[in-house]
Amino acid sequence: MLRGTNAAMFALFGIYFFVGATALTAQGDIDKVFPYTINNVTLDNGLKIVSIPFDSPGIVAFYTVVRTGSRNEVEAGKSGFAHFFEHMMFRGTDKYSKDAFNEMLKSIGADNNAFTSDDETVYHTLASADALETMMDMESDRFMNLKYSELDFKTEAGAILGEYNKNYSSPFMTIFEKMREAAYDQHTYKHTTMGFLKDIEDMPNQYQYSLTFFDRWYRPENCVVVVVGDFKQDNLLALANKYYGPWKRGTYKLDIPAEPAQTQEKIVNLPWKAKTLPIVAMGYHGPAFSDNSREMPAMDLLSQLLFSPTSDLFKKLVVEEQLVEFVQGSQGDSRDPGLFQIYTRVKDPKNIDLVRGEIEKAIEEAKTKPVPEERLKAIKSYLRYQYAMGLDNPNSVANSISHYIQLTGDAESVNRIYQLYDQITPEDIMGVAKKFMTTANRTTVILKQEESSQ
Amino acid sequence: MKTTALVLMTALTIALTPATLCAREGASVKITELRSEKSPLVTVRIALRAGSVNDPAGKEGLNALTASLIGSGGTRELTYSQVMEKLYPWAANISSQADHELTTFTGDVHRDHLEAFYTIFSQLVLAPRFDPQDFARVKEDAVNFLVNTLRSTDDENLGKQALNTLMFDGHPYGTTEYGTVSGLSAITLDDVKEYYAKTYTRATLWVGLAGGYPAGFAGKVRTDFSGAPDGEFREVALPPPQPIDGAEVIVVQKPARAYGVSMGFPIGVTRKEKDFYALMVANSHFGEHRTFNGVLMNSLRGNRGLNYGDYSYIEKFTGGTGNTTLPNVNTPLRQQYFSIWLRPMPPASTHFGIRNALFELKRLVDAGLSEQEFEQTRKFLMNYSKLWAATANRRLGYLMDSEFYGTPYFIDRIEAELKNLTVADVNAAIRKYLTADNVKIAVVVDAGKGAEFFDNLANNVPSPITYDSPKPQNILDEDKLIERFPVKVNRSKSRVVDAKDLFERR
Repeated sequence: MLRGTNAAMFALFGIYFFVGATALTAQGDIDKVFPYTINNVTLDNGLKIVSIPFDSPGIVAFYTVVRTGSRNEVEAGKSGFAHFFEHMMFRGTDKYSKDAFNEMLKSIGADNNAFTSDDETVYHTLASADALETMMDMESDRFMNLKYSELDFKTEAGAILGEYNKNYSSPFMTIFEKMREAAYDQHTYKHTTMGFLKDIEDMPNQYQYSLTFFDRWYRPENCVVVVVGDFKQDNLLALANKYYGPWKRGTYKLDIPAEPAQTQEKIVNLPWKAKTLPIVAMGYHGPAFSDNSREMPAMDLLSQLLFSPTSDLFKKLVVEEQLVEFVQGSQGDSRDPGLFQIYTRVKDPKNIDLVRGEIEKAIEEAKTKPVPEERLKAIKSYLRYQYAMGLDNPNSVANSISHYIQLTGDAESVNRIYQLYDQITPEDIMGVAKKFMTTANRTTVILKQEESSQ
Repeated sequence: MKTTALVLMTALTIALTPATLCAREGASVKITELRSEKSPLVTVRIALRAGSVNDPAGKEGLNALTASLIGSGGTRELTYSQVMEKLYPWAANISSQADHELTTFTGDVHRDHLEAFYTIFSQLVLAPRFDPQDFARVKEDAVNFLVNTLRSTDDENLGKQALNTLMFDGHPYGTTEYGTVSGLSAITLDDVKEYYAKTYTRATLWVGLAGGYPAGFAGKVRTDFSGAPDGEFREVALPPPQPIDGAEVIVVQKPARAYGVSMGFPIGVTRKEKDFYALMVANSHFGEHRTFNGVLMNSLRGNRGLNYGDYSYIEKFTGGTGNTTLPNVNTPLRQQYFSIWLRPMPPASTHFGIRNALFELKRLVDAGLSEQEFEQTRKFLMNYSKLWAATANRRLGYLMDSEFYGTPYFIDRIEAELKNLTVADVNAAIRKYLTADNVKIAVVVDAGKGAEFFDNLANNVPSPITYDSPKPQNILDEDKLIERFPVKVNRSKSRVVDAKDLFERR
């Protein structure tokens, strides 16, 4: 049922939220980095409902996390499909056509969009709290009953190519593509979420596969609904059962090829037509995310130790010798082993090798030189404050918690990972540096302006 | 365990009463406050009523370079690296933004560390180090940004900046906010020091505070900043933008796989005027940023799959890409402009895409909004606009922008104005301010393809579009009109340039 929504709700309340008032004075002062109550309920069909009360009068953030991303694109020629499918989810159903869907969103003044990454596809809406039933109705309907014509499918393929095109002038997109393609042999992280260009160009011909994709992945056991803000739990669950109850479980089992260990360094030289400074990227195969292993947290601390603006390397290369515009390095969380990636833009092409050498030297030092206690304390403090400062509205809270849900299926992972941060020792950091940051485990991409376009 | 806290409607109302909003003028520096006692976060926005319009001739970029040196430099006591060391354990953040008319330094910190943070932040602005090594770094970065990024690896912003130079040719807004290559190259550290001494005064500095700062903090800030040198605020006179005759086009050439388009024209209306709010409804209906509400988005992307997105604006709009749809705050202008942004299209479709956008704009101007479209869009905006100010930081930004314009708090004013609007008001504003005939157009095309592209545009060569898939008959019928839609190009005011020749000098 489509309820009328109360436009005046927004008008009455200025929308303005903030995080809890308790001081965050040092690591370990609080047990849980995530300061809000997390309610977890699983419906009979396997759909998880995660709800977080948040003082945002009249407002809720409504997220649906599909634990499917470009990682799931196991078949040849189908890269980029999770992202493409995200677009198709806005093309309507028998009950609510594309135009009707948009009109409903417009009528509730919602901010509504979606994004896709390696491991997830997330649909998010921020709207009036009294539009909760409308959102449940619209979202459950398209997740169960999506229906689009082949014509619509082909037209949307043009928008996907347009998305690729809009990013194309930036060399970073191409470096990222080439890095993935070279670093991985077997695993689906070989392609980016956008997909290989040849697959994007072939998307208009993949209508039948899109139906298969929907049937496989848009299933209750593979999704989590996240609601943050102003709601009543009883009402929320009643609505969830009403609208999502009929959703049927799926049966597809995913078999992603494991990535074999890399045995020798890979180097890719990438010429670039437009004017640019050289960019050097280095990728090391790292661990998968886990909230019960110290490896990924240790990698996160290593990232801060080596590449934060307070690191010796940053001070040397950026501030003092000014050889590069920036240098940064980190590994994003991922369900399967990901890449620790380092990027730097070198001001003078003749210094490329010098800069690479400095980065390698800093990495080698991190393997044998224990981080001083004060520095370790500062890094841990930074990580906790950085997280706490990001939780200032229901949207950011929902976004943050969805990140951990897509990784493990469990929102509490956020608290466990920050507890692990507190336990990391200098030996842990040296250990992951030794294990993962080796020459044989590295892929280097060097992008330089073509000679002819100097 | 943290506790959540509630911002009561009453508290918010108090925070936004005129008494609180009013600047404390006189001998002391102006302070804008948005205090929320229970919030653990604090935002400090230090604004300077100056921007690139204040750049001296031949030193374009001086305002932006000075801001960069302050925002990523040191204090008299601390080097840049020492500043970073201090801020790091608190995850405190300082950023600078230099625009045409307003320059801002924004600091965010947890209130656990407000006092120590504020000491550093205020000293960065009031007692900057002006280290020669830092100067060399930020200057080289600034030149590199124009030469190696804007001209070559960021085509969407290149198109927007090319449009800006075309729209405001000969006007103080006519250079980028970051200056020109020759201007930046000519700037010395002494120039920066001189500009700082002349500009960073009590008369131009202005501080905004938001969040959970303690009682008495604002008084301390006022005292500290009122210790800045005395000065005089002189607003740079802005001539009226030159009238536009037909379609004035700039075609920018560089290696490009797809072609982005920006088009627009100055409009004599800002947030201060009532007509702005009527136009806001028209614009939301026509091209609300990154939503499927807009006519443009549905026509070019939704129906035809030409590109990723198509939007329109009635004031300067930066940001709102990537994972956020929200615009940057603190980029107010005394003279605003209407613009259309067509994200990159395949080369063969770009001529059609330009016509498609102008075709829709003409239809908007000729037909206006229906009563139903007006009511739907008004209702949408009254809700949606509240989402723009969801954090204290952004709310403060909008508040300061409102003070810049001399108007009540923008988000509240939207509601107040929209409540009383009629569809007749909106359609009258469309007819008064919008046109599809006299418009400036910037297109970024592949190297060596500019002359041909321009000739096709100027000669109104038909631009039939082909699709990979069948389309409904109504779209195909409309295509027949669009592919021959006349664009009256003013050849004498149009040009084809290489990207490397843009932003060189004023």
